[in-house]
Amino acid sequence: MADDQRLLMCPENLHEGLRLGPIFYVVKPEQIEAFAKATARTNPLHTKSSEQIAPPTMRLQDYALLIASRFRGGSGGVHAKHWSEFHAPMLANQTVKTEGRITSVQRKRGKFYFDLEYESRDAVTDELLVRQAITSVLLIEGKIQ
Amino acid sequence: MSTDASDVAREIVSTPYLLDADAAKAYSAAIESPPRRAPRVNIHTDDDAARKAGYRAPIAAGEQTYALMANFILDSFGAEFLRGGRLEAALVKPVFYGDKLTMRARVLEASRSALQLEVWTENDRGERVLTGTARVPRPSR
Repeated sequence: MADDQRLLMCPENLHEGLRLGPIFYVVKPEQIEAFAKATARTNPLHTKSSEQIAPPTMRLQDYALLIASRFRGGSGGVHAKHWSEFHAPMLANQTVKTEGRITSVQRKRGKFYFDLEYESRDAVTDELLVRQAITSVLLIEGKIQ
Repeated sequence: MSTDASDVAREIVSTPYLLDADAAKAYSAAIESPPRRAPRVNIHTDDDAARKAGYRAPIAAGEQTYALMANFILDSFGAEFLRGGRLEAALVKPVFYGDKLTMRARVLEASRSALQLEVWTENDRGERVLTGTARVPRPSR
C-alpha cells in the first residue's frame, strides 16, 4: 500500500522507550469460547454466565497488534520469554485499552532481541487487568541472526 | 485448591495435550492477529521458512505453549491466580506439531499470602520446552 506510513519492522527502527498503541477492543464471548475450546479448556469460568471470564492469556497476542499499529513487514520473530501479572479477570463484553513500550533492545551472541512491555486496562474505569512483557528474537531476512 | 506448608515440594501434573496442526489451527483462529494482505507464511506454517530460521520443521507458536501453562495453573490453583498471580517463563526448546505436552508445577514455597511455584512443560521425549516460575495468591480468609 503506497499510503502505509508505518515503519519497517527492523532493528534500525526499534529503540528503547518507543511507545505503541493504544489499541481498543471489546472482549467477545465468542472469542472466549473459541480460545477455551482451542486450548482444551473445560473450566466453567469460561462458559457463558453473567461473569464469563477470559482465559488468562487470551489477549497475549495484543503485542502483535501493538507492533502492527506502528510497524509493517519484517520476517516476524521467535518468542523467547514472556511474563504476565494478572491483576483482575478480563470479562466478556468489557471494553479494553492496551498500550505498550519497547523497554530494551540488544544484540546478544549475534541475535537481535527486544522486550515489549504492555498492559491492558478497563477502558471505562482504568482498572488494571494484566501487565505483561514479551522477549522476542527478531528474524532478519527470515533468519535468526 | 487448599495448599499449606506441607505441600512444599509437591508436584502437580497435567493431563497431556496434543499440540498438532489442528490444535495450532484452532488456536490461530481463536486469537486476534493483525490483518494481513497475503497468506501467512512463516516459521509456524511453512517448511522453508522454518528451515531458513534453523528449525527442522514448522514450530508451534510459543504463545500456545505459554497459554497451556497459564491455563494449567488456573485449573490447579483456582481463580485467585487472576487477581495477583504471576507467570514468567522461557520457551527453551521448539514445539513441533504432534508433540504431546505435559505441564508440571512444584510448590517451592508456601507463605500465608501466596504460593511460589516452579513450572515447566515437557514434550513426550522428556525434554523441557518451557521453564519458569509462578506466583499464586492465597484466597483471603
